Amino acid sequence: MIEKAIKTQGLTKRFGDLFAVEDFDLEVEVGTVVALLGPNGAGKTTIVRMLATLLAPDGGRAWVAGHDVVREAGRVRELISLTGQFAALDKNLTARENLVLMAKLRGRRGRDAGAVADQLIERFDVVDYRDRLVKNLSGGERRRVDLAAGLIDRPQVLVLDEPTTGLDPRSRQVVWSTIRELVLDGVTLLLTTQYLEEADALADRVVLIDRGRQVAAGTPAQLKGQVGQPRVDVVAADSAAFEQLVELLRRQFTITPLSEQRTISIAAPELAADLARVASAIEAAEIGVDEIALRRPTLDDAFLALTGHTSQVPEPEESAVAR
Amino acid sequence: MSVITATPPAQRGPGRFLRDTALLTWRSLRAIPRVPERLLDVTIQPVVFILLFLYVFGSAIHVPGINYKDFLFPGIIGQSLAFGIIGAGVATSNDMTEGVIDRFRSMPINRLSIITGQVMGQFCEQVLGVTITVAVGLALGWSPHLTFAHGVELFALMALGLFAFTWCGVLFGMLVRTPDAMQGAGFIVILPLTFMAGTFVPIAGMDAIPRAIAEWDPISALVASVRGLTTPGAQAGGSWQLDHPEVAMALWCVLILAVCVPLALRRFNRTLAA
Repeated sequence: MIEKAIKTQGLTKRFGDLFAVEDFDLEVEVGTVVALLGPNGAGKTTIVRMLATLLAPDGGRAWVAGHDVVREAGRVRELISLTGQFAALDKNLTARENLVLMAKLRGRRGRDAGAVADQLIERFDVVDYRDRLVKNLSGGERRRVDLAAGLIDRPQVLVLDEPTTGLDPRSRQVVWSTIRELVLDGVTLLLTTQYLEEADALADRVVLIDRGRQVAAGTPAQLKGQVGQPRVDVVAADSAAFEQLVELLRRQFTITPLSEQRTISIAAPELAADLARVASAIEAAEIGVDEIALRRPTLDDAFLALTGHTSQVPEPEESAVAR
Repeated sequence: MSVITATPPAQRGPGRFLRDTALLTWRSLRAIPRVPERLLDVTIQPVVFILLFLYVFGSAIHVPGINYKDFLFPGIIGQSLAFGIIGAGVATSNDMTEGVIDRFRSMPINRLSIITGQVMGQFCEQVLGVTITVAVGLALGWSPHLTFAHGVELFALMALGLFAFTWCGVLFGMLVRTPDAMQGAGFIVILPLTFMAGTFVPIAGMDAIPRAIAEWDPISALVASVRGLTTPGAQAGGSWQLDHPEVAMALWCVLILAVCVPLALRRFNRTLAA
C-alpha cells in the first residue's frame, strides 16, 4: 500500500470552549495539490500547525508520510516544510543569510550551505535582492525568499499557509507561477487559502472548511457541479427593456428575473446552444441589452450553497440552546 | 536540483545542540548592527541616570564615608544589569511574534537550541550594554579600587547576574503577549526595584517598607557586591544579605536560574495558541 502524504483521522483542537478544528479527516495523495479553503477563522492554520508539529492535537491523529505527528515529531519535521502566513524569515538578516542559516540548521556545512542558498536564489529569481535585509523587501519579494527557504533539502510534503494573503495581484501571479513550477517537480503540496480563485487555479482537490469542520471536498469542477447549472445572464439596457425581456424569455426558458440589477438569469444546461437561442430570440425582438453572458457557477457560489453563508466570518450567534 | 536533493545525514546529540545554538546565537548577534536602537535602549538609560545623579541630584545626596561617584557607579552598574531583564524580555517577545521562530520549530533541529541561542544572543548584547555603561563611568572619572582577585570576583559575579537576569527576561518575554506589555511591566516592577536597591541613596535612610524590600531584593545584593568590591570599606549592612552580598547574590542567581530555566523551556515547548 502506498502511504498517503498526509492523513488525518478525527483531528480535533480546542481553544478553551471553542472547537477550532473538529473531527477533521483528510487524505492527501503523494504528488497532488490539495487546498484547504475557508474563511478567516475556519481552522485552516490550526490544521497545518498541527501537521507541522507546532501544535499538539486534543483529539484524533495525523500522519505525514506514515509518521505520527505526535509520537514521531522529529521524523515528521524532517519530511515536512511549513511556510506560514507571515514570512518565516529573520527580518534582520539578508535574503541570502536567511537561506544559508536555514541550510546550516538543516545540517549542511559552510560552503555546501552557500551552494544550496545560491541555487535557490537563482531558481526563485531572488538574485536582484539577495543581499538586502528582509525587512526592506516588499511583500512579494519576501514571499519568494520564504518559499525558497521552505524548499531547502526538498521536503516530501510542502505546506503553504495562505501563500498570497496580503499580496498585490501582480505578486500573487508570480507566487502562483512559482507554485505551479514546484508542482511540476512533483512535490506534494497542501495549501490553505481564503481565495476561491486560488484554490481553483492551483489545486487538484479542494476541501471546504467552515468553523473547524469539513463541509465538502472534491475537485474544483465537482464542487462547482454541486451548486447547479450554468446559466445565461442578460442585462437589459433600461427598465422598459427589462420588462419586455421578461415577457419574451419566460415563454421559451426557465428564468429568474432580478429587477434591481435589470438582469435575467436563464438556466443553460446546454451551454453555448442555450446562449445562441437566447441571443437570437433577443435579436429577433430587437430589445436593447447591455450584456449577454454565459456563466458557470464559481467556487464562491459553491461556498454559499454548501455553508449557507458567504465566505466571510459570521457574527457569533447568541446560543438558543436551553440551558 | 542535484545539490538540493542530496540530504546530508542528520547529526544528533550534544554536537548538534552546540552547533544549532551557535548558529542561532550568530543570528541574534547579527541583529545588533542592524537594529542599533535596541543597543541604544540598554545603554542610553544608564547614561541618562549617570548624568542626572552625578550633576543634578548628586549635590543634595551625602553618603557618609564614601565619595558619591564611588557610591553611584556601582549602583548604576547594578541597575543596568537588572535592566537586562527588560531588554531581554522585549527582544524575546518581539522575536517570538516573528514567523521565523515557527520555522525553526518546524525544522529538524534541537528545540532547546532555539531558546539557548536566544539567551546567548541576548547575553552578549547585554554584556555590550554594560561595557558601554562602565566605560562611560570610567570616562567621567570613576576610579574603582580593584585588586586582581576582586576584579575576577566582580567579573564573575556580573556575568552570573547577567546570565540569570537574561534567562529571567527571556522567560518574561515568552509569557507576555506583546513587547509593549513587557516594556510596561518592566517599568512598573523593575524600575522601582532598581531605585530601592541602594542604587542612588543608602538603604539605611529609607522608610520602613522600601527598606524592608531593599534589604532582601536581589538587585540590592548585586549593587552592594559591586560596591563592596570596588570601594573597600563601603559595606551597607542591615540584613544578612547586605552583610554578605556576594554570597547572597550568588544564591539569588542560582535560585533565579533554577526557577526560570525550566519554566522557560516548558513555556517554549508548550506551543503557543495559533
